[in-house]
Amino acid sequence: MTDGEAILEFDGVTKWYGSVAALLDVSFDVRTDVVGLVGKNGVGKSTLMKLAVGLLAPSQGEVRVCGRPAQSLDARAQIGFCPDFDRLYEPLSGVEFVAWMLRYHGFGRAQARRRAEEVLAELGLAENMHRRIREYSTGMRQRVRLGQALAHGPSFVLLDEPMTGLDPVARAELSEQIRELPRRGVGVLVSSHVLHELEAVADRVVLVHQGRLLAQGRIGELRDRMPDRPHRLRLRAAELRSLAAELAQWAPVEGVAVREDALEVSLLGQRDFYDRLTALAAGWPGGLHEIAPLDDDLAAVFGYLVE
Amino acid sequence: MFATAIESARQTLWMLRYRRVLWIVPVALVLLFVFAFVVSGRARGSVDGLHLYCVMAWWGLGTVLVPWTTLYLGVQAVHGELEDRTSQYLFLRPVRRVPLLLGKWLAVSLVSALIGCAGAVALFLGIGARPDLWLDGVEAGPVATYALVLGLGAFAYAAAASFFAATFRRPLAWAAFFVVGVQMLAANLPVSAGMRRLTITDPLRRVLLDQLEPSDRLAADLWPAERPEAREVDDLPSSFTLEAGSPLVDLMLFVAVCLAFACWRYAATEYESRSRD
Repeated sequence: MTDGEAILEFDGVTKWYGSVAALLDVSFDVRTDVVGLVGKNGVGKSTLMKLAVGLLAPSQGEVRVCGRPAQSLDARAQIGFCPDFDRLYEPLSGVEFVAWMLRYHGFGRAQARRRAEEVLAELGLAENMHRRIREYSTGMRQRVRLGQALAHGPSFVLLDEPMTGLDPVARAELSEQIRELPRRGVGVLVSSHVLHELEAVADRVVLVHQGRLLAQGRIGELRDRMPDRPHRLRLRAAELRSLAAELAQWAPVEGVAVREDALEVSLLGQRDFYDRLTALAAGWPGGLHEIAPLDDDLAAVFGYLVE
Repeated sequence: MFATAIESARQTLWMLRYRRVLWIVPVALVLLFVFAFVVSGRARGSVDGLHLYCVMAWWGLGTVLVPWTTLYLGVQAVHGELEDRTSQYLFLRPVRRVPLLLGKWLAVSLVSALIGCAGAVALFLGIGARPDLWLDGVEAGPVATYALVLGLGAFAYAAAASFFAATFRRPLAWAAFFVVGVQMLAANLPVSAGMRRLTITDPLRRVLLDQLEPSDRLAADLWPAERPEAREVDDLPSSFTLEAGSPLVDLMLFVAVCLAFACWRYAATEYESRSRD
């Protein structure tokens, strides 16, 4: 599988539940990168995930994994799914659970156990993999769920709310592990409510709202595609009021507001704004201390699109 | 497919070990032994040991222990995983769902058959411990007959449990309706009504008729609502011949139909617990 080939493809997918449309004409793909799936509750994210792993069939359109229909056995061999619900086979140990799942991928008993131990050790569960799952913390359980998704060496992994219930250290570790997957040739589709964390791991995002695909692409690109939305910046500098007066005369500047210790600047277009600002900063008495975008992040982009 | 079914059966057996209902089985068997021993002591002089054994085995094991244990375990094995959604872990594997379900059915059948056989033995030990109660001496033959009948019943009830669990949101309620509604209704209809093939108890009853050849009194105690002509065994096909109407064929048909519907529902593409009402 090369970077250029789509591992997961949604091609004009519509899904109806009776007379209710959960997804309408959704098309996107996942290659060997990390794609973030963003949307509010109830907009069709779970439906989309279930379509991708073949648990649901599209009413119209096609879902393909590695070129095969998502519901085929060949496709399922290539998929790893880490669901959002926190249920596992509680009486088993982590290694037993993962080994059991591997048995259905054609692994022999000893081979399955070895591989399960390997993958759980990689996920940081080496010391606890033989304890019963019911004794695990939320983070350990999440690692087991991730382990069963990765153990068989899938080409494509879906992670549904993988950060839920994890402490900040575990979140950082998991983010690193997700970032590592494309380097091994694995495509990743990850959904999360924690947008800044999703932003940190995703190469691209797919934004879904009310069953429709609002937008897809890199976050910066998406933001640039909204020229009617002023970019907002925060500037911290000495002589705030003088700076505000100076900036207010510049063409792309739509407005300047003086906050407590910073300026909030609205820009319509950014043609030569940053070049001029750099030149200004060089000669400004006391210098500019901070230039920070306020609405170039995923949350802002998503908010604008949903509006 | 075969390997998947065997692996599913192995995993189901392993998980059944953790069902609390199974923990009480050894205790229940001991209680059954004690109960049989006490009852047979009180029955001394009024009833034959063989008669007492047959009645207690049929009513205690054949209509209560095996049906309810099997239905409960079967429903838990199939429906429990659907309700808590752990079945999704299995459905994501590159295997078909039919062998997964068949493996669960096989595992539940084996466990229930074993429980039924153990119950038949415990009951026999309790009543057999009073040899003076047995007019013609203690006979172990009926134990094998009941073990066979209960084993067959276990496979059939497990198939019914699989069907209810794969089809309905409240499978235990449907199972109760089947046992105390459909089966009792059918048992009280004339043979000519043809409803009996919808039940498990009727083929089992005919196996007992064929194997035990009970006296009129025993038959009346075993099936009090039964019309006398239905106790005639001369016209019945032998229990284990593979001809239409034999108890074995009827049970096999029942199991096949239940499993076919269960597999169809279980393998349905969009099968989710929430969408099954």
